[in-house]
Amino acid sequence: MVTFLNIVIAGLLLGGLYALIAMGLSLQYGVARVLNVSHGEFIMLGGLITWTLYTAFGVNPLLSLAICGPLTFLLGFIIHRTVFKRLLTSSESRGVFESNSMLASFSLLFIIQNIASIAWGPEIRGYSYLRVPVNLAGAVFGANRLMTLGFAVVIGVAFYLFIARTRTGKAIRAAAQDPAAAGLMGVNIDRVLALCFGLGAALAGTAGMLISLCYPVHVAMGLEYTVIALIVVVLGGLGSIPGSFIGGFALGIIGSVVTNIDPSLSLIAYYLIFVLLLLVKPTGIMGR
Amino acid sequence: MLEIRDLCTFYGKVQALWNVSLQINEAEIVALVGSNGAGKTTLLNTISGLLRPASGHVFFLGQQIDGLPPHAVVELGISHVPEGGRVFPEMTVRENLEMGAYPYQAWQHRGETLEQVYQMFPRLKEREKQLARTLSGGERQMLAIGRCLMSRPKLCLFDEPSYGLAPLLVAEIFRIIQGLRDQGITVFLIEQNVRRALEIADRAYVLENGRICMEGPCAELLESDHVRKAYLGL
Ligand SMILES: Nc1ncnc2c1ncn2[C@@H]1O[C@H](COP(=O)(O)OP(=O)(O)O)[C@@H](O)[C@H]1O
Ligand SMILES: [Mg+2]
Repeated sequence: MVTFLNIVIAGLLLGGLYALIAMGLSLQYGVARVLNVSHGEFIMLGGLITWTLYTAFGVNPLLSLAICGPLTFLLGFIIHRTVFKRLLTSSESRGVFESNSMLASFSLLFIIQNIASIAWGPEIRGYSYLRVPVNLAGAVFGANRLMTLGFAVVIGVAFYLFIARTRTGKAIRAAAQDPAAAGLMGVNIDRVLALCFGLGAALAGTAGMLISLCYPVHVAMGLEYTVIALIVVVLGGLGSIPGSFIGGFALGIIGSVVTNIDPSLSLIAYYLIFVLLLLVKPTGIMGR
Repeated sequence: MLEIRDLCTFYGKVQALWNVSLQINEAEIVALVGSNGAGKTTLLNTISGLLRPASGHVFFLGQQIDGLPPHAVVELGISHVPEGGRVFPEMTVRENLEMGAYPYQAWQHRGETLEQVYQMFPRLKEREKQLARTLSGGERQMLAIGRCLMSRPKLCLFDEPSYGLAPLLVAEIFRIIQGLRDQGITVFLIEQNVRRALEIADRAYVLENGRICMEGPCAELLESDHVRKAYLGL
């Protein structure tokens, strides 16, 4: 007998992951104005790197966070510094940059995916870590999944505090609201945008590591997560970090409810929400 | 303090500034007046690094600053209050002020400077925790000025600070700008409100179609036939 509480807990477990990947995309799209279609590829990289480190070198998956995070950050930062910064200077308006950068991120998707399939091949990879059952509110959940939620919440909250309280966090928000005015305040816009893109990639890489704890990972897994992240970002309001965090959990719970009715319906339900939202309230639940 | 030599700025192929030269001395208020579309905003944006000049130079305290990005220009001590104030709407009044203190040097002293700004604008202190988008037009302009002072500038650039404000507020804004000179801050004031600007400034330049067509002490310009006819409606 599955109770409502179980469905909610399962939703929160899923929602934690959604929140992380959505916060990442929110930084890239909401601040750096790159609708990064290759967001999911960084998730895939995080997952597969964690798998390799664990199966080939015996590195504890939780420790690989300290490797995946910085690695994907660096990759994102460098990509922004080289590709997107150049596009930004060559585009005459923000609208032109947004469409150019989306096209560029499409090619990024194919490049990363192709390199990854040379490295890892098409096989579905999984490993078993901390798969001990834990009894919670009358239902059984894997310790690995609970661990995922814990990490997602800690990282999400830390990230929120970083954006809300620190000098750099304020610069990021200012750059999102008015990049030219932020420059006049002394913010090095190029650097802040690259930082946002890198942090977005690092959040994706971290989420990938957490996903690999619970689900099998493979080279083609990225796009589904990109779509989910995009839905959450719209749900939570473009550019709103708290919105993405809350929206992630909201979508997780919705997904869990729908999965309980029929697992094959969850993606369809997400798309339905997305379309309805765009029609009814395109500024998102936290938007004005 | 600031010297501009033969500055030319383009938007694509369209030239907006033609060989503009001017000079601002320390602790002066210098006004630049001109009608809508004359190129006033373009000139300020070229000084602060938002636009790059096609030719000509800008020197600040002897250092060449044309071509520097905006963040580097602020760090040297030039603070720009853009047209309309451009406060950050989704940040609180206090966060907006803190953003003004973003340059590293200013950040070290931000507590102290914040006290001074709150003393100048008690209204901002009252609204400290409100989001900037909830402020009235006058309050926003005050916030923009306060935010500019947070960087502890040597030179302030104002782009039509009185635009769209009620007469009483306009008088207050001009009083505040005059007060800056007494604190030793140099002011470059851009205005369409020509009479007011010429009343508080020491010297002024007149910009027409991207070219400086007149310059001199304000008292002289107020007497000139051209200024009286074209800008004062006399
Ligand atoms: N972003 C822009 N792109 C193209 N032309 C512009 C742009 N901004 C201003 N201009 C043109 O440059 C000229 C000067 O504009 P501006 O500096 O804004 O004048 P002012 O501030 O004196 O009203 C105007 O003819 C205007 O149409
Ligand atoms: Mg203007």
